[in-house]
Amino acid sequence: MVNIVFKFFIAISCLLIFRGLVAEPLLDGADFDYGEYLSGQCLTCHQNSSDEGIPAINGAEALYIAKKLILYKNKELENEVMQLVAGALDKEQIASLAIYFNSLEK
Amino acid sequence: MNNLSRRSFVSFALASTSLLAMPAISTGSARPKVVVVGGGAGGATAARYIAKDSKGAIDVTLIEASKHYYTCFYSNLYLGGFRDYDSIGHSYDNLSANHGVNVVHDWAISVDSSARKVRLGSGATVSYDRLVLSPGIDIKYDSIDGYSVEAQTKMPHAWKSGTQVKVLRDQVLNMPKGGTFAMVPPPNPYRCPPGPYERISMVAHILKEKNPTAKIVVIDPKNKFSKQGLFMAGWEKHYPGMVEWIDNDTHGGIKNVNPETMEIETDLDTFKADVACVVPAQRAGAIAMNAGVTDGDWSPIVPASMQTKADSNIYVLGDASVASAMPKSGFSANSQAKVAANHIRGELTDSRVFPAKFSNTCWSLVATNDGIKVGANYKAGEEKIEVVDKFVSKTDEGNAKRKKTYEESIGWYNGITTDMFS
Repeated sequence: MVNIVFKFFIAISCLLIFRGLVAEPLLDGADFDYGEYLSGQCLTCHQNSSDEGIPAINGAEALYIAKKLILYKNKELENEVMQLVAGALDKEQIASLAIYFNSLEK
Repeated sequence: MNNLSRRSFVSFALASTSLLAMPAISTGSARPKVVVVGGGAGGATAARYIAKDSKGAIDVTLIEASKHYYTCFYSNLYLGGFRDYDSIGHSYDNLSANHGVNVVHDWAISVDSSARKVRLGSGATVSYDRLVLSPGIDIKYDSIDGYSVEAQTKMPHAWKSGTQVKVLRDQVLNMPKGGTFAMVPPPNPYRCPPGPYERISMVAHILKEKNPTAKIVVIDPKNKFSKQGLFMAGWEKHYPGMVEWIDNDTHGGIKNVNPETMEIETDLDTFKADVACVVPAQRAGAIAMNAGVTDGDWSPIVPASMQTKADSNIYVLGDASVASAMPKSGFSANSQAKVAANHIRGELTDSRVFPAKFSNTCWSLVATNDGIKVGANYKAGEEKIEVVDKFVSKTDEGNAKRKKTYEESIGWYNGITTDMFS
């Protein structure tokens, strides 16, 4: 029984370490207040009640937002406005925006 | 009731109303006070963000004469029949209900910057710790010989949205068959750089359908304009032969306009119009002039905060400011408002102040589903707001891309008006 619990503990630890190594670096340095301030630039266009013309992003997964912003920053996704906005964001700013928008209600 | 007593009564009534509307002022609350003058893209956004983000720690009063705000952006789309009038009108109710902003529908008449008070049309005064002025533009009626306040019904400028745009639309719809529409765009700097050329596109769109032998002549005081290649290619594509654009070097200068004869005289020729849209030169709204924070026609600002160079307690946003590389647009004003709101909160409540970040995009509609855009982002330099990066639509884009750009502009309109009024 102790052995099973130990193995389970090791498995969970590995999972957490794996997540830490692979996924969370994109969100390193995230600063909620900074994200709230920076979100002002996004909210001129993105709103929550409709996807018409421009998608709603409130409540989206933080990693999804961060990855999208990086793709726009690298010009791997098309849209001049988003390439411009993301192009001017550094890693900390992207992470901050990602956790802030994730915190908002859909 | 004679005039004096009526005025006294109105002052008393309004003062009473403002006491009810602004309990913090009457009760001597310790909350710091911010007064925002002008409920457009700069002012409404600033009031909303300061109130929302301070979570009640700052007493915010918004002074705006109109109960319903009709956006200048998208008023061209109303002109062209793409939007109905009601769809560009917005109320201030949510700013009070959702964020506790005291909305006072009155004119701000004067600013006493040493006493930090704003005097209203009613005679009441409102005191402030920080004042945000976002009054937009005033029209310089005397900048064109023959133009005047009275002339604006015959030759509407329609540059401040509202009823002027309605007047212009009616005139275009009732223009004689095969008639001439004349457009006189304003000289630089002015509100909404692509606006006159989007307006020409929207008028052409109506005429193509309802009055296809009509002509449009553009008598421009400039030799080039925003998104020129894109607009001119669009006119040739959608309205071939209808639009003639005459630059300043060609016509030699606009000498005068005559609203009675509907003539526009230049060095080259006298143009006779059936309908004329004449947009004179512009300057900062009167309250910015009165507050003593202007230098010439506009208000110089500190790029990092949008504080005026003349008075660190007064911020000027949007069209009225000298924002250097940033155009005078609703998007710019909304962007500047968030920088100012963050700075004001920091000053009054010790909240964190983050570096200024500005952006702007101007979408324009050339014809049905043919949208174009120009945009940039900016940083606060020592002396000026400076461009970081920019883009503009390309002339060889496909139809699908142009349609998407138009749809994106609808999303932006919904976004910015939500950001201002929700």
